[in-house]
Amino acid sequence: MSRIISVGISEFKVAAAPSILMTYGLGSCVGIALYDPVALTGGLAHTLLPAPVRTMEQAEKSAKFTCWAIGLMVEELVKCGCASDRLVAKLAGGATMFEPQHRSTHGGIGERNVSAAREALERCRIPLVAEDTGDDYGRSLEFNTATGIIMVRALQRPIKQL
Amino acid sequence: MKFDSLTEEHLDALREVSNIGVAHAATALSQLIGRSISLQVPKVLMTDITKVPEVFGGAEKIVVGIYLQMLGDARGNILIVLPRESALRLLSRLLPREKSEGSFLTELEISALKEVGNILASAYLNALGSLMHKTLIPSVPVLSFDMAGAVIDYVLIELGEVGDLALMVETEFFGEDEKISGQFFLLPDPESLKIILNAIGIKL
Repeated sequence: MSRIISVGISEFKVAAAPSILMTYGLGSCVGIALYDPVALTGGLAHTLLPAPVRTMEQAEKSAKFTCWAIGLMVEELVKCGCASDRLVAKLAGGATMFEPQHRSTHGGIGERNVSAAREALERCRIPLVAEDTGDDYGRSLEFNTATGIIMVRALQRPIKQL
Repeated sequence: MKFDSLTEEHLDALREVSNIGVAHAATALSQLIGRSISLQVPKVLMTDITKVPEVFGGAEKIVVGIYLQMLGDARGNILIVLPRESALRLLSRLLPREKSEGSFLTELEISALKEVGNILASAYLNALGSLMHKTLIPSVPVLSFDMAGAVIDYVLIELGEVGDLALMVETEFFGEDEKISGQFFLLPDPESLKIILNAIGIKL
């Protein structure tokens, strides 16, 4: 029996096979999965914002922010016996849920989340091997740490495999 | 102002003004569909952002979310959440045609639901505004039909930029014979919260 671990908003979780990491209802949030295929261990983050705004510079480092989640997750994965140079990444989410009427106030937050994730991965030298991002629908992720495969479920759409 | 510095007295005051606002919104809705609509006394919730999807009945619940901004003298977000079944029932009362087969909503249905959102929000803000002697107007509504978690994270983002707490004024409304239920959320900006509280006579 595999253990199912649910990852909430602004959280990240790390687990080894045969665990399954799940996160539900990603809209403009982004789901970032890191995986070590040798250690069969992975981490999944559900981040809300690309980076802290100026008024909260003293904010605690947490997985709320895409720019920090990846670093925090790598640290934790290494503690669990992963090698940082074996890690690969997959991204999903970053949708634009409402028509872009209000884009001026949110500045395409989904897109900004995805590009913040790409930049952070590049900084950590983790290759991005697959992604399912953008568009206008919500996604739920099921990340199998035994295989590294992510099932992406969405409303009235076929299940995608990443 | 920070949400975590709110006292019980502040929350009571918010509950009271919301009650008046939502009562007006419910009257508007019942006139629209020609049925009486009942209301629950509003709840004022202070929730950790990460827990907000649970308030909506789980991140994967399929809902229609109608989102508007509160503009004018105070700012914030308004989110009206209708479970899928309730939205379809509401539509069958509004549109003279067979209901859609659970698939995507048609242009006409989307437009009708947005109008419902507009009417609810306008009635609410009118009542709140006259109570406060301030001008509050809703923006043009936008709609999303998807998982609750995905629908609301858009709203959480703005709150997430200033803190980890969400202040929500939540009301449930429901029809009497056929079940039309929904939730009405007002999420004031932290800055505007002070304006609202001051305007209703609470000294900070």
